[in-house]
Amino acid sequence: MSAPRPTVLKYSGHEHLRTRLAMSLLSGKPLRVDNIRPDDKNPGLRDYEASLLRLLEKLSNGTVIEISYTGTAFLLKPGVLNGGRVEHDCATSRAVGYYLEPILMLAPFCKKPLELTLRGVTSDALDLSVDTIRTVSLPHLQLFGVSDGLEFKIKKRGAPPLGGGEVQLFCPVVKQVTSLNFVDPGRIKRIRGIAHAVRVSPQFSSRMIDAARGLLNRYVPDLYLYSDVYKGDESGKSPGYGLTLLAESTTGALYGAEALSEPGLPPEDVAQNAARALLSDVRAGGCIDRAHQSMVLVLMVLGSEDIARARMGPLSPRAIQTLRDIRDFWGTSFKVVPVDGDDGDGQLLLSCFGVGFLNSNRTLA
Amino acid sequence: MSEQAHKTHRVSKTDKKGKGKAKAAGGFNERAFAPRSGIRADRQGRRKAEKDQTRLHVPQVDRTPDDVPPPVTIAVVGPPGVGKTTLVKSLVKRFTKHTLSEVKGPITVVSGKKRRLTFIECNNDLNSMIDVAKIADLVLLMIDGSFGFEMETFEFLNILQTHGFPKVIGVLTHLDLIKKVQTQRDTKKTLKKRFWTEIYQGAKLFYLSGVLNGRYPDTEIQNLCRFISVMKFRPLVFRNTHPYMLADRLEDLTPREQARLDPKCDRTVTLYGYLRGTNLRESAVVHIPGAGDFALKSVNLLADPCPLPTVESERRRKLSEKHKLIHAPMSDVGGITYDKDAVYINVPGSFSRRPDEEDGDNIMQGEGEQMVMDLQDVTSSLADGISRSHIQLLGTSSAPLQVDPDDSEGEEDGDSGSASGSQSEDDDAGSDDEDLSDVEADQEATGDRGRTSMRLHARAARGQSSHDAKQRADVEYADSDSDLGDDDGGGMLRDDNESELDLDDEEASDQDDDDGGDVPHWKRNLRDKASEAFERQHKRRKRDWMKLIYRSTLTPEQIVRGETEQEARIEDDDEDELFKFKSKDQMGTDEVLDQTKEPLSKEALAEWDDEEMLDSIRHLFITGGDTAQGDEAEWDGAEAGDDVEMEDAPEQTEADKRAAALAKKKELKRKFDEQYDDPEEAGKQDFYDEKKDEMARQLQLNRAEVEGMDPEARALVEGFRAGSYVRLELENVPCELVTNFDPTYPLIVGGLLPAEERFGFVQARIKKHRWQTRILKTNDPLILSVGWRRFQTVPIYSLDDHSIRMRMLKYTPEHMHCYATFYAPVSLPNTGFCAFNSLGSDSSAFRVAATGVILDVDRSTKIVKKIKLTGVPMKIFKNTAFVRDMFSSALEVAKFEGATIKTVSGIRGQIKKALPKPDGAFRATFEDKLLMSDIIFLRAWYSVEPRKFYNPVTSLLLSDKSAWTGMRLTGQVRREQGVKTPLNVNSTYKAIDRAPRKFNSLKVPKTLQAALPYASKPKVMKPQHRQTYMQKRAVVLEPEEKKAITLLQQMRALRKDQAVRRKEKQDERRAANKKKADKIEGAKDEKDKEKRKEHMRLAGIKRKREETGRAGGSGSSKRRKSSGGES
Repeated sequence: MSAPRPTVLKYSGHEHLRTRLAMSLLSGKPLRVDNIRPDDKNPGLRDYEASLLRLLEKLSNGTVIEISYTGTAFLLKPGVLNGGRVEHDCATSRAVGYYLEPILMLAPFCKKPLELTLRGVTSDALDLSVDTIRTVSLPHLQLFGVSDGLEFKIKKRGAPPLGGGEVQLFCPVVKQVTSLNFVDPGRIKRIRGIAHAVRVSPQFSSRMIDAARGLLNRYVPDLYLYSDVYKGDESGKSPGYGLTLLAESTTGALYGAEALSEPGLPPEDVAQNAARALLSDVRAGGCIDRAHQSMVLVLMVLGSEDIARARMGPLSPRAIQTLRDIRDFWGTSFKVVPVDGDDGDGQLLLSCFGVGFLNSNRTLA
Repeated sequence: MSEQAHKTHRVSKTDKKGKGKAKAAGGFNERAFAPRSGIRADRQGRRKAEKDQTRLHVPQVDRTPDDVPPPVTIAVVGPPGVGKTTLVKSLVKRFTKHTLSEVKGPITVVSGKKRRLTFIECNNDLNSMIDVAKIADLVLLMIDGSFGFEMETFEFLNILQTHGFPKVIGVLTHLDLIKKVQTQRDTKKTLKKRFWTEIYQGAKLFYLSGVLNGRYPDTEIQNLCRFISVMKFRPLVFRNTHPYMLADRLEDLTPREQARLDPKCDRTVTLYGYLRGTNLRESAVVHIPGAGDFALKSVNLLADPCPLPTVESERRRKLSEKHKLIHAPMSDVGGITYDKDAVYINVPGSFSRRPDEEDGDNIMQGEGEQMVMDLQDVTSSLADGISRSHIQLLGTSSAPLQVDPDDSEGEEDGDSGSASGSQSEDDDAGSDDEDLSDVEADQEATGDRGRTSMRLHARAARGQSSHDAKQRADVEYADSDSDLGDDDGGGMLRDDNESELDLDDEEASDQDDDDGGDVPHWKRNLRDKASEAFERQHKRRKRDWMKLIYRSTLTPEQIVRGETEQEARIEDDDEDELFKFKSKDQMGTDEVLDQTKEPLSKEALAEWDDEEMLDSIRHLFITGGDTAQGDEAEWDGAEAGDDVEMEDAPEQTEADKRAAALAKKKELKRKFDEQYDDPEEAGKQDFYDEKKDEMARQLQLNRAEVEGMDPEARALVEGFRAGSYVRLELENVPCELVTNFDPTYPLIVGGLLPAEERFGFVQARIKKHRWQTRILKTNDPLILSVGWRRFQTVPIYSLDDHSIRMRMLKYTPEHMHCYATFYAPVSLPNTGFCAFNSLGSDSSAFRVAATGVILDVDRSTKIVKKIKLTGVPMKIFKNTAFVRDMFSSALEVAKFEGATIKTVSGIRGQIKKALPKPDGAFRATFEDKLLMSDIIFLRAWYSVEPRKFYNPVTSLLLSDKSAWTGMRLTGQVRREQGVKTPLNVNSTYKAIDRAPRKFNSLKVPKTLQAALPYASKPKVMKPQHRQTYMQKRAVVLEPEEKKAITLLQQMRALRKDQAVRRKEKQDERRAANKKKADKIEGAKDEKDKEKRKEHMRLAGIKRKREETGRAGGSGSSKRRKSSGGES
């Protein structure tokens, strides 16, 4: 009676799970992931992965997730992205950045504007900190015309292991993302930074700022590093501090870097690490931050049926896998060519023909 | 008479012929156009503004490629016997000088240098009309002038409207049947008026008079052709977002044996046609209206069977005769007909080759005849071709492919070789083993034989490029692989050179500065310090990223590390799966986390200890150079100064440098101007022009980006473009599509967006069509045409109830929009649709039941209907009562605790708690004391969900295409099976006899009464038993008074009597009149009856004529609507 079932896309392993989940929900193609840590002592999905799946279930209407008995495989039948007011307590084994990355790709395509509240760890060593999300990820999303009403609030900070942080993401709904054409990286005109410290001496943040200044002052005079100290209830349950830096170019390209407190590491070293990481990123060049390559690639493909171009530094393994997954989900390949010219050392020019993805979840009623 | 003086000629004061013109040419006379007064100026200004506004419409991107646009689809639609086939034949004759014997399937012709047209005749089946409405760019709507509009025409126009409304040109035929000139003129006028109200005021309507030699008069057709060839089309939203194809022909690829063993087995078919709309991607899912959804197995670019003239011929103003091509594979053109499983070549008489072939002769030769000729022309066999080529079967094999001269398969080789050359769109089916050498050989053969037909040359060449690109690529990759095996570095270089897409020059420069010699000073310093990683980065620059990412089995990590496939293979031999990360030896190590942030490595960061390193990136900051843009030049200069040898330097001549500097300067100036010039002047463009410019820029970018890519890679990046002729292969197609294939029914392949494969509850705004006589009922099946699909579903109608809830409606409102929610494949919001109760031609009523637009798609619905639960008091206390019979268990009560309830008399209350005895009883409180006779209501909302019923209209799978029936109504089924509607005895209406109720009188206690204010006090008074004054007074009349009263009474009596008599008289007269009128009416009726009889007789004759004219057509009965055309 009905049309043939859409083909299920099958993947193996837990890596690159988030992009695949996001693309499955966007494209509507069912996703099956097998062999999730089959040989591990603790096989199957981790708590944070399960938590992410639950979050996606909350975010959408009609999503069916079938997890196998051992937890080493699951099948996701995507529903309709609903949006609206969603609250979620994230597993504290990963920071909220882990959950927010796929959400940022999905949020513009919901039925209703998203008002997402996440609780948990706000920054840890594994995932993008909330400051990076706010200052780097959101501007990257703005490149695609998702800007009016896009907001990210850090209500409370929470350092690992106990977390206790709370963030809010407000994202508008768009009909279609605009085609990106970003090939001029420009030159760095300003550097900004946020040093945060919770449940430690506020002195720590000023020490980090001083150390970072020592390294970065030579490049641009437009260098402001803010100290962001949360107190009392807003500072979460565990102590921690860190520094997030971002460099902005004349054309609006952003590079972000961050370093967080580790046991036995003085704040000066944290700041130095962050600054050096930023310099590495700046040297790699491109118009897109390295950590956001895969998000940008996915959004490029979703644009109208025009050429979208972006210049990027050396591709991260994630981005390469994303390119392959994009081909599976959308049937589109990117044109990847090295940038010619002296300053394009190791940089690539990625261009693709958008699939003309229209937000079918949008409602007119 | 002769004296009458003629008025003398007055020489015009303004010399219009000579001087005036010269003066006008001399310059623009401002005063001539200046308004004469202020009011006039104002009026002119307003008029101009108005005109500007009418010009504006939402800017839309036209995605039709400029260079080779797809043929314009022109559908010829009209009732049977109106002259559709004649029109198509006339048009084709006009465009190509070709006389068609039959019109079946699409007919593509070249109409001009930049335009091709595809004609398609639409039969009278509603399914065909729906499909055609979705793809036609221009509709030639044919109307029988001697009859007027028919119901189908109106139905078709409604379908057009909901699916985007392409351009419509009306064509009025059979005007010669109206003999009287005045009647003809009047008919034209009335029909035009009606046509204009349907389309728009001023819509084009053509009049075709009689048929000459089986065609319409040449001048009239020429006019129509001119109109068609210059017509401009505005992109329609749906077609601008979906790829689609009108199939020229269908071919069954299922192995014969399999089909013979199991005639009902699913087939593999190929469909040929021009792509239209947006780009089609290879992984797309398509929908064939009337058949279903299919995944594309493969898409192949084919040589264009009807190509536009090439550049060199375009110098001429007119299209030369030999470019007036026609492609109509199913219509028996040029002696060749394609059937679903065979190709028939019709060779007239003898076909000996004429030694002196001339252009004209050759063109006049039929396609089929040529094909046979070509078969004779093969001068070399396949073996010859192979021996001349250098194809290696395997990458590692050293010797090229060779064929023994005494090969036993000689016959077959010759066969395939000739087929590939002569008929390249067909050869994929026939000979898959065709290769490069084949075509080469064939080209040579055609070349030296001097067959000068342009068309075949083009086809052969294109065929080769499209078809063998794959082959070539494969060969090359194999080649490079083997090289990689030999030596690493060299192999990689070669690999690049060969399989790079379009980067040859970049590549060259890359290689130049790669060999260390000309690496800048600072860079060399770095390299000394930087270890292997840096080397790798350099190595990576030369790599073919597309190949690494999309066609290698390397893991992303390996690619990033810079490994080659060769290395990877050595690393782990058994790895052959793409996503196999973990091998046994990796078991012990930490698991790879799914993380975006790459961990900071101490070593990598340590390099920043060095001051020189820190300085090396200074140029990336604005403080690093003087100008914003000039860093490259400056950097180049620095390099030139530092470095001793600079290989690029001599190449860069002074002139080049100067030009570059100039360009830079200009750019800077432009930027400066942009920033500091008057913003008003810069932003002079209005929104519309701005948007237009933006779109043009983007289209330019699109073209530039894919230019020069080889077709294979291009197809991967952007899919198959509109305008290309492709072959689509589909699997698992129901056998009925092939066995019941009928070329007169359009076969459309519509591409689906990813979202459109899914199912969900679709909410739409719907309105019953005003010509539909009956309103639509919830849960009655309805056939919808949404997007590409036609399907039957079961909608639920609803209305927004005070923005609180969606309340179900049993029936659609009569003249209002409402919502409909149904289970269906997802369509994008804002897609229009139309609905039908049935698609068959059995009813003469208007078949479009409703029209609407999609609003929302979801996986659940929120429609509710009202439900009232009733209960009766079991026991009454003061304001509390025990209620029973509302629920059946305590659990249900628990669910409704706190809910408001109400008695019929209006006493409100609340449910409190369930009672232990009897099940479902509860305690409730009210605002007043109840009576035992009260009935208690609980008003609640019950959510209803549409049934998950989706039944695609599979009309193409039937042998009788118009006989599709979906789910029927219960009543219909009963009627057809002769089953009586079951009657529930309890449902019958009976008279209710209610005993009169007796209410006790209201008694207010004395104490309470005393306390009440006067207004509220019950004012109960005893009835008066004494007579009032008015009753008991005695009246005594005076004698004259008495007299007067008596007189008055007498007069009244007389008057009454008179009135009665008058009335009698009147009645008599009336009866007589009526009798007279009846007589006249009877005569009139008789006359009318005769008239009707005559009319029916004429109609019968006409129908008979049409039926004979159709000669076994669809056989559907004609359904007409009396309209203005009828006198």
